[in-house]
Amino acid sequence: MSTRYDVIVIGGGHNGLVNAAYLARAGKKVLVLERRHVLGGAAVTEEIFPGFKFSVCSYVVSLLRPEIIRELDLPRHGLEILPLDGTFTPMPSGDYLWRVNDHAKTRREIARHSRVDAEAYEEFGKAMVAMCRFVKPILAMSPPDPTTLHPRDLRKLFVLGRRFQALPSDDKYALIQLMTMSAADFLDQWFETDVLKATMSASGIIGTFLGVRSPGTAYVLLHHYMGEIDGAFRSWGFSRGGTGAISEAIAGAAREAGAEIRTQAPIARILVKGGRANGVALENGDEILADIISSSVDPHLTFMKMIEPDELPGEFLDEVRRYKFRGSSGKVNLALDALPDFHCLPGPGLHLRGAISISPAVEYMERAYDQAKYGNFSSRPYIDVVIPSLTDPSVAPPGKHVLSCFVQYAPYKLKEGTWEEKREAFGDAVIETLAEHAPNIKNIIAGRQVLTPLDLEREFGLTEGNIFQGELSLEQLFFLRPVPGWAKYRTPIENLYLCGSATHPGGGIMGAPGRLAAMEILKGWKKGKS
Amino acid sequence: MSAAQSIVIIGGGHNALVTAFYLARAGHKPVVLERRGTVGGAAITDEFHSGFRCSTLAHTTGPLRPDVARDMQLEQFDLQMIYPEPRLFAPSLDGRALLLFSDPAKSAAEITKFSAKDAERYVEFHGVLGRMAAVLSQAMTITPPSIDHPSAEDMWNLLQTGRGFRSLGKKDMFRLLRWGPMAVADLVAEWFETELLRATLAARGIFGTALGPWSAGSAAVLLMRAAADGDPAGPAAFPRGGLGALTKAMAAAAARAGAEIRSGAEVAQILIKDGAVNGVILSTGEEVTAKTVISGADPRRTFLKLIDPVHLEPDFLGKVQHYRCLGTAAKVNLALGGLPSFTALQGAAAGGWGANRAMSGRIHIGPEIDYLERAFDASKYGDFSPCPYLDVTIPSLSDPSLAPPGKHVMSIYMQYAPYRLKHGDWPDQRTALGDVVVRTLAAYAPNLPDLILDGAVITPHDLEETYGLTGGHIFHGELALDQLFTMRPLLDWARYRAPLRGLYLCGSGTHPGNGLTGASGANAAREILKDLR
Repeated sequence: MSTRYDVIVIGGGHNGLVNAAYLARAGKKVLVLERRHVLGGAAVTEEIFPGFKFSVCSYVVSLLRPEIIRELDLPRHGLEILPLDGTFTPMPSGDYLWRVNDHAKTRREIARHSRVDAEAYEEFGKAMVAMCRFVKPILAMSPPDPTTLHPRDLRKLFVLGRRFQALPSDDKYALIQLMTMSAADFLDQWFETDVLKATMSASGIIGTFLGVRSPGTAYVLLHHYMGEIDGAFRSWGFSRGGTGAISEAIAGAAREAGAEIRTQAPIARILVKGGRANGVALENGDEILADIISSSVDPHLTFMKMIEPDELPGEFLDEVRRYKFRGSSGKVNLALDALPDFHCLPGPGLHLRGAISISPAVEYMERAYDQAKYGNFSSRPYIDVVIPSLTDPSVAPPGKHVLSCFVQYAPYKLKEGTWEEKREAFGDAVIETLAEHAPNIKNIIAGRQVLTPLDLEREFGLTEGNIFQGELSLEQLFFLRPVPGWAKYRTPIENLYLCGSATHPGGGIMGAPGRLAAMEILKGWKKGKS
Repeated sequence: MSAAQSIVIIGGGHNALVTAFYLARAGHKPVVLERRGTVGGAAITDEFHSGFRCSTLAHTTGPLRPDVARDMQLEQFDLQMIYPEPRLFAPSLDGRALLLFSDPAKSAAEITKFSAKDAERYVEFHGVLGRMAAVLSQAMTITPPSIDHPSAEDMWNLLQTGRGFRSLGKKDMFRLLRWGPMAVADLVAEWFETELLRATLAARGIFGTALGPWSAGSAAVLLMRAAADGDPAGPAAFPRGGLGALTKAMAAAAARAGAEIRSGAEVAQILIKDGAVNGVILSTGEEVTAKTVISGADPRRTFLKLIDPVHLEPDFLGKVQHYRCLGTAAKVNLALGGLPSFTALQGAAAGGWGANRAMSGRIHIGPEIDYLERAFDASKYGDFSPCPYLDVTIPSLSDPSLAPPGKHVMSIYMQYAPYRLKHGDWPDQRTALGDVVVRTLAAYAPNLPDLILDGAVITPHDLEETYGLTGGHIFHGELALDQLFTMRPLLDWARYRAPLRGLYLCGSGTHPGNGLTGASGANAAREILKDLR
């Protein structure tokens, strides 16, 4: 039963689908194989409780590369981004910080806390835009190898150097600091209001096993700042119908281009002959052949689970073993009969339509991290809350709501006990934390789903529950991602490529790895393969 | 108004003395103005209890950069260095001892007692670090390049560094790139399985910083240290007579070369006229005119205390304000009636090496990575560590001249003691800090408390007030990735020059600025001489 394909893409996550779409558009015969019954990987919408549809894992969108939206014409395939306006941070003092997209409003709000900070906020915004301008082209390039003298790599490095040199002195300064400092230290230079620094620094730790005071988190701050919808930096949004709708749109584009997509097709192993990948074997025993295998799952699954160790050089395997996952976050999804009522700003209102950030103080954030360092989940975690049903009523029954909590820290490796035992305790800690700000939460919960890092691993194939398929730490970025010497989507096995978030430029619903990997694969073809 | 002097050097610390020496050797007549009664800055020896002397602050050299040591010929000024073996002894709470020697084979033999695998890996690690050190040490000798307008010399230096880098081969090249931004805890975990060994080697990545072993970038600090001494155990080198003997010899060498050294001369202000320095005013009101003023003091003190702000761009001042310079270290010096007996060195545990010899080098207290990290945690919230990381020496073991016969001095470097306390202030916490240090050591050497005749506690506050280290930072500014090389102290101002004509920096607040290596002083002198030509 073997029809031969040009490319088999392992995993139907957003990167796998983007990868497939681009390859299919280039005229290749592409097959996507997804283990689960739904497409989307970590970008899925599922009806957990009757009538309540959840973006089970990743819950907001903004990093999705505009060129991908454009080139794949995703709006025509049903992608619709609804704005997520602002971030609301309740404070124990009974006060709050509420930033919205309207600059004037936000300015007034921050001035309420500190006039100086209101001024600085404008400047900060400008500076970050400049930084994003510098970094964005890097997100769209496949990384050079700094250890070769190959003209192509040297040119890339040279161009980077020149562009850096061309920056105004202050931007150079900020850039170096962003690449090396901690989010908290970096923000300390700009602002004095603690709650503002705490909330802003939060985007520096999302998905990492680092604290707001850990060097390197300033970069992650920037990584999240890159958020872009219709060209406007730092504006996040929901996709109508949940993040699953994004995957569906991309799948639509891929199918239209002729790609074939199969769900419930778990792969047992990648077929390798004489150092070349030439197909895959499904768990049901079927073997499917292809010229190229493009894996969107993480390096651990790809190299430790799907390939016989003797097919790989020992040193490469060591590097793969060294690759850090360290999941640090969990997800709690709630079906609600009513809206939460925050005592610092009672009643329903626009503040519930944006992100609600439980990040009252920098020290609060850092202490949450300290607990995780020693193998416990945070008793008072950082929580990023959204209520999509307010913006997109289609995801909940009339009058009811879905609330999703992104929770940090929840270390994959617990010091005592297992996640099986701790799951509900973890869920309770989240509810307790929310209840401190919105006491009525306990009485309005119609259903609760708790996803621990272990669940993320089992359900969604995210090793150690890392939502970015590997730490976004400096030593695992750019030409070092996923492992030194193999940052160009290629692997020691010929015709086997990586195209997931474990490759440059990394995680978030960005799609860039899938696209860049497709480019590299096609380049390979030109070099007279087939 | 005294006779016009051409060159003034502020501060008589080791870097300033190195700069003075090189300028004098080139035929100039620099005047070193030291605030205190003796030169030496943080490298001094005091008699803190009658008959008992020890290195008051720093207690081992970095070590001194070989070419600097050669040029200054310090042995001629009766400097004798002592190189104890083993270099390092680390006790574990369960009464085991880890000994590390200069000879990796000897160290491996000791490590085997913990793990045969680690013993093997240690020899390999020793080799890798050594190779990297060779490349990095070259980078420590160059003046950080100008990013906007690299000179021909800059390009040449970069080329040299690049060639050194390439000579490492692909594997080590990637290692170096990968290690730089790593957390030292991850680095040692990749190599070793023995917790005590991990923690002992990791300590070099946090020494003198506001980082914990889990902080990214701490591996870079370890690499910088390795550039001065590629041995994973770190340096153990004591001048006979304590570190004061080192700086005394440096002062003598500088003086013989033609430098004038004035102690008890505190500079109150640097005089500026039309954007150029014009001399300094001493606290006595005496004015010393000079066309060249070189500050061995840290950048914050130099730019924020000694210069009238009107002379500096607000933007530049703002950046100096943000220069992170908050120390985490304290020092405790003890006069002992006898030798402490470490449980880990009883009988066979000493590993055939007599207990005395085993503790003649550095003694590392900090048995586990988590122990070190917890010590760090406390400081993040403004408390000093209840269970601190300690780097201890008993110099009187190898240098009896420091204490009366049969008696000893113990020099204890303590981390973390944050400059800014959340509760109370340092003068009140002094005793509490001393007690914590003694209690911590007593867990490993139970008889210690009974041996103590007297002690001196030096808090971060003292480091600032008495020794002029702003924020109590022993390295004149945090060793963070954004404050190193072309960014030390500030981007665009890493070439030992300041925004005012005739003003230079030569202290640890400049590249490479870490430990007692004299590198900053030597690099600065090279740049200054170019301008003086």
